[in-house]
Amino acid sequence: MSTIGIIANPASGKDIRRLVTHASVFDNLEKSHILRRVFLAIDALGVPQVLYMPDYDGLVEKALKGLKLSLKADQLHMDMWADERDTTEAARQFCEMDVGCIITLGGDGTNRAVAKACSEIPIVAISTGTNNVFPSMIEGTVAGMAAGMAAREMVDVDRFTYVAKRLEVYVDDQMAEIALIDVVVCTELFVGSRALWDPHRIREIVLARAEPDCIGMSCIGGLLHPLGPRDPQGMYVRLGGGNTTVLAPVGPGLISKVDTREYRLLSLGEEVVLEPAACTIAVDGERQLEVFAHQKIRVRLTNRGPRVVDVRRYLYEASRRGVLRTVVK
Amino acid sequence: MSLTKEKMLEAYATMKKIRLFEEKVAGLFAEGKLPGFVHLYAGEEAIATGVCAHLSERDYITSTHRGHGHCIAKGVDINSMMAEVYGKATGACKGKGGSMHIADVDKGMLGANGIVGAGGPLACGSGLMAKTLGTDQVTVCFFGDGAAEQGTMHEAMNLACCWILPVVFVCENNGYAESTPWGYHCAAKNIADRGVAYDMPGVTVDGTDFFAIYETAEEAIGRARRGEGPSLIECRGFRYYGHFEGDAMLYVTEEEKKRNRARDPIENFKKRATERGLLSEEQIAELDSKVAAIIEEAFKFAEKSAWPENKEVLTDVYVNYP
Amino acid sequence: MAARTITFREAINEAMRLEMRRDPTVILFGEDVAGGATLPHMEGENKEAWGGVLGVRTGLAPEFGRNRVLDTPISESAFIGAAVGAASTGLRPIAELMFIDFLGVCFDQIFNQGAKLRYMFGGKAQVPMVVRSMIGAGFRAAAQHSGCLYSIFTHIPGLKTVVPSTPYDAKGLLSAAIRDNDPVMFFEHKLLYDIEGEVPEDNYTIPLGEAEVKREGSDATIVTVGRMVHFSLEAAEKLANDGVNVEVVDLRSLSPMDGDTILDSVKKTHRLVVVDEDNPRCSLATDVIALVADQAFDYLDAPCKMITAPHTPVPFSPGLEDAYIPSVESIVSTVKSFTG
Repeated sequence: MSTIGIIANPASGKDIRRLVTHASVFDNLEKSHILRRVFLAIDALGVPQVLYMPDYDGLVEKALKGLKLSLKADQLHMDMWADERDTTEAARQFCEMDVGCIITLGGDGTNRAVAKACSEIPIVAISTGTNNVFPSMIEGTVAGMAAGMAAREMVDVDRFTYVAKRLEVYVDDQMAEIALIDVVVCTELFVGSRALWDPHRIREIVLARAEPDCIGMSCIGGLLHPLGPRDPQGMYVRLGGGNTTVLAPVGPGLISKVDTREYRLLSLGEEVVLEPAACTIAVDGERQLEVFAHQKIRVRLTNRGPRVVDVRRYLYEASRRGVLRTVVK
Repeated sequence: MSLTKEKMLEAYATMKKIRLFEEKVAGLFAEGKLPGFVHLYAGEEAIATGVCAHLSERDYITSTHRGHGHCIAKGVDINSMMAEVYGKATGACKGKGGSMHIADVDKGMLGANGIVGAGGPLACGSGLMAKTLGTDQVTVCFFGDGAAEQGTMHEAMNLACCWILPVVFVCENNGYAESTPWGYHCAAKNIADRGVAYDMPGVTVDGTDFFAIYETAEEAIGRARRGEGPSLIECRGFRYYGHFEGDAMLYVTEEEKKRNRARDPIENFKKRATERGLLSEEQIAELDSKVAAIIEEAFKFAEKSAWPENKEVLTDVYVNYP
Repeated sequence: MAARTITFREAINEAMRLEMRRDPTVILFGEDVAGGATLPHMEGENKEAWGGVLGVRTGLAPEFGRNRVLDTPISESAFIGAAVGAASTGLRPIAELMFIDFLGVCFDQIFNQGAKLRYMFGGKAQVPMVVRSMIGAGFRAAAQHSGCLYSIFTHIPGLKTVVPSTPYDAKGLLSAAIRDNDPVMFFEHKLLYDIEGEVPEDNYTIPLGEAEVKREGSDATIVTVGRMVHFSLEAAEKLANDGVNVEVVDLRSLSPMDGDTILDSVKKTHRLVVVDEDNPRCSLATDVIALVADQAFDYLDAPCKMITAPHTPVPFSPGLEDAYIPSVESIVSTVKSFTG
């Protein structure tokens, strides 16, 4: 069905890392401007309808203000909590409606919240967060073009998506969280401001991707053994008192020497049992679960993540097929 | 984050004091016992408490018309606060200020303020004092989402950044400037983003989550104390009561009220602290009754206190006036 | 105390310099009070660009450094409010509000904060700040840079208002204002900056709230302030040639106001003229006349007269502006009308 769903996270790019690292504020006006370019591209491709997640900051309304579009843009009917529950609920509805594609604006956490409810619909992920591995810094217009073509099935999108890996976190055998990039054991007892920036407060890391060209915890693994999105492996890293030190950019402008005790690769389906302790579990860079020493925490690497559009390959193929080309006699 | 059991006990007691103080005041107001009008802080306890936990008596805060929570978190005597709300001679301001002007400069509380947005410039002043005299005192400027649209706040944030003052701007975005929703009065629909305009970090934090506020404020205040300049923290939350007592709150839907109740900052704190085993149910119960007694005592103190004498009209205008 | 002749401007500068030497908590800030902040060839070489508006090169920034003499952005609310905040927490700030007409962009901080803090806090705060500001017509600066407006501030409980007329008074009153523990509005008439007078080199203060009889006389009392003191003295000189002896009372402070000196003089001369460059309604002039009507009515031999600017903004065109300002001739003719 040629409808596009949009989820834009108003909270991304504004957490405590503005204070403790050199992260910049990703201002919401810029997000609205990106959305505006997305809309113009989608409209140019003749997509009839866009549905979007409402938010208190009115990102989409601001983007649409004064735009003359042929498409119909409608807000989803849903309760707003002003936290990640909104993203998950919007993704659930998109999945139910079977939209042609979902465009996300946010960081790793935003896409994780989408993936919680929906793994079938291809995602075009635009980065508007702080340290992001999952979404990419792509121009909104280009993202909109790709999404438009995908939604209208101008080029078969399935061939240009990959299925992301997914880490599943089980607390006492109940799945409690998922992550698309990393699961991190943080010695802080409370979720608090959520972000992670101090490797001294990190004990274990489980990675779906170990990217040496990103910042954040994924990079710690990436410097030990790079693993990309398509590699059918993950990694477990135990920090502290170690035999190998990596000089890792753990946050924007924040480069730390990180002691690692050991690391090992994980294959799909493999599980890691985390060391028991009262701690917080961070998923995709955000402390999310407060766990107790008596709880048993397992993390499993799977290939049940969302389908992600490789925008660059997709647009190359569209060019080869001449889908946007008209010969004028 | 540097959070000890003692700090947590203290934080719980502070939040509870604020809540019970406001509930008491709401009741007294409804009974017609209080003159004038009052603006209640209930629902926003985690903000004042999480921020002021990092301040000493030597540090300063500027406050708003909704100032009771700031006063309590900054250590202003509760008896004197209750007496002030009554207008009694034993009040923090001898009954001359009332709810909207409770202050205690010795405790670093530079006054609740009846003028929306007035605290920003004042905070620059106490920040300038610390910088000029080379002390490590920090000033926190609490302001609401309504005040965020006052020119004074823009001027103050700019000045504080020009002068690299030890000031932390804490915006308590409770969603409404009186009855006007924030989505209407704030053109860019984000206050933390303004940090970019003044070259300071801008952070958004859940205004109902004590732990998030505590951790964020610790970093911002530490930064100011080290001389690294101002920061802006936007706390997103809500207030349980109306803009002032008597406001029927027609602008808040029942659904929204229900959602707010589910995010209660004190219940949330209590649940997590006890689950963690850092505070026990018994400790909480003991604190609850202790705090209730403190508020009851404050009420009795205010009730039995004398009204100011009429000659007091003429005093305290000047230090010296020939 | 050795005295020498200096200008009104130098006297003000000297008061600030000596007070800043005396007391490390005295600081000065405002727009261009030094000028050229951060520029390598200005601040970098410990120089000031302006040292205050109207080319008043104070030399204070080079002596005391930019931590005590601070240029501000053009944000009157923020820096006047900062003066209130700094004063209530331990400094003695002098904030320079370039022209008093700019009260429009910072009045709240003076009127609702500075003036009321002490009272609202039940006496548990003090606000020892000075706002220096230029006043007065005659500079061809038109309606938004030429008002006097001291009457507005005098109306406000919690503020003190001072309007010096001579270099000697300016230095002594400013020193007193800086040492005073209440917020003081200090008004400097821009056409007085160049007048000269004898001023002691050392530090001294003139108590706020004490008027000075600048000329003794027996036939009529002129109560006045600021630049109008000089107009009144000139008029008195002319009237003396005609045998009319006028007493000129320079109020110097409007709040507190020295009612005793006014009343004593009127009881002696039985006639009162108030000469005031401010607008006439609810003003210094009406205030003085009300005082005399209330407390010395039986001593009056003639109706009280007020010579003031009209109830208009200050016009720009030179002829119009001159017509706006009370003139020596009008003072002479008014006094003659009931002494003649």
